[in-house]
Amino acid sequence: MDANSQLTPDDTSVFVQHLDFTYGSSLALKNIELKIPAHKVTAFIGPSGCGKSTLLRCINRMNDEIPGAKITRGGIHIDGVDIYQSSIDVVKLRREVGMVFQKSNPFPRSIYENVAYGLRLRGARDKASLDAAVEEALAAAALWDEVKDRLQESALGLSGGQQQRLCIARAIAVKPKVILMDEPCSALDPIATAKVENLIWDLKNDYTIIIVTHSMQQASRVSDNTAFFYLGELIEYSDTAQIFRNPSVRKTEEYISGRFG
Amino acid sequence: MTNHHILREFDKGMISLKSDVLLMASLARQNLERAMRSLLERDIDLARSVIADDADVDDLERKIDQAGIDIMVRFHPVASDLRLVITSMKMAHNLERISDHAVNIAKRSKKICKSFPLEEVGLTEPLYSLAGKLLRDALLAYTDANAELGEGLKVRDRELDRMHKQMIATLSGRLETSPGRSENLLHLIFVARSIERIGDLAVNMGEDSVYLGDARDIRHEHSKASTPAPQGSSESDALA
Repeated sequence: MDANSQLTPDDTSVFVQHLDFTYGSSLALKNIELKIPAHKVTAFIGPSGCGKSTLLRCINRMNDEIPGAKITRGGIHIDGVDIYQSSIDVVKLRREVGMVFQKSNPFPRSIYENVAYGLRLRGARDKASLDAAVEEALAAAALWDEVKDRLQESALGLSGGQQQRLCIARAIAVKPKVILMDEPCSALDPIATAKVENLIWDLKNDYTIIIVTHSMQQASRVSDNTAFFYLGELIEYSDTAQIFRNPSVRKTEEYISGRFG
Repeated sequence: MTNHHILREFDKGMISLKSDVLLMASLARQNLERAMRSLLERDIDLARSVIADDADVDDLERKIDQAGIDIMVRFHPVASDLRLVITSMKMAHNLERISDHAVNIAKRSKKICKSFPLEEVGLTEPLYSLAGKLLRDALLAYTDANAELGEGLKVRDRELDRMHKQMIATLSGRLETSPGRSENLLHLIFVARSIERIGDLAVNMGEDSVYLGDARDIRHEHSKASTPAPQGSSESDALA
């Protein structure tokens, strides 16, 4: 069953409504209608260029920075608020909609400062409460035990998997509502990938998570719902088990079973 | 799913898996057919060859299981590909048991053939005819992923159950009136039992084909008992 039809407005965290998005004259997303549930993991899958990362970046308005890129129809609501209305503070929006990128990108500062950075921007100054928030975020990102004795060392000295979990800690330190993950494990080895996937499972109790992945196995392992995109269109959006056992649309089956892409 | 997979090795593996199931099906049906012919034509050599050839079916069951596991480990199939791998492994299991029943029939046949002709062997023919049709259609349902054909087998098998009960009643009656032939009549009861079980195994394969075609698990759905037989079921001609 289409996942959109199973959600009430109360269950919906992110509501993408009849969205058209263009890069200049090129239509990158066509009439996307998507209700993303709160406290679930939703995977976006599809071949390169299908629009999944573009949609992900629309959800925290990262595409605002790209000249000529704009929404030409429809919009996006988070918890009922239109995030493209003129009164929205984009910086504040991006605190509420955190993002983890394909390549880990810690600041060239200490482990501690990476996590505290967003909190300081928000005005936190008290050291005791900063310490507590840093510890809480690192613990939630399953990194505390590995770094608690070297918080003042450079974040760049961490392994790739640790850096990625540090970026997740940095994102969750400011208590966002939604976490966007754009291929967060594509540069990680299987062990580091497993740690991040465990983390995703744990985090969904507190956050709405949307993950773009090219790994069908990862989508089937970590997500509750899966949306399949092709050529800028949402082809199928359903319960992940349903998508991988018996998709309704032939194109979905051809893609997930490796017949194109 | 007719399009080619991006990985040629995956396509090769899947084609090989299905071919092996069809080869195994052909061998199992052949064993059953020869076991029944040995009984009806009193051919002990044929019975011996059935017993000997069962090893080929056993080997294929192991080969299909291994190939299925290899495909799952290497390629992580999903959707209809995953269903084909799982169903193929289950088909192999059921076919191995069908071949075992052919061996049971062949062993009983050898014993019956060693004594005086037993006119009651002819009673097994209608049962075998129907079981053969169920088996043929179960294999067709798998080959074509035809869920409708597979789902209809359960209802059609009820006629085989009825015929089996009737035959057991007939043979039991003759056991009482012909104590001198009791051993051979008992052998024949076991032959009938094997044929009836082959019908059950065909039903199992039909249910697996429903999963293959439609991703529905209809096993143990007793409510289906009231479903009428689909039109055009081929055993209706034989029962007329």
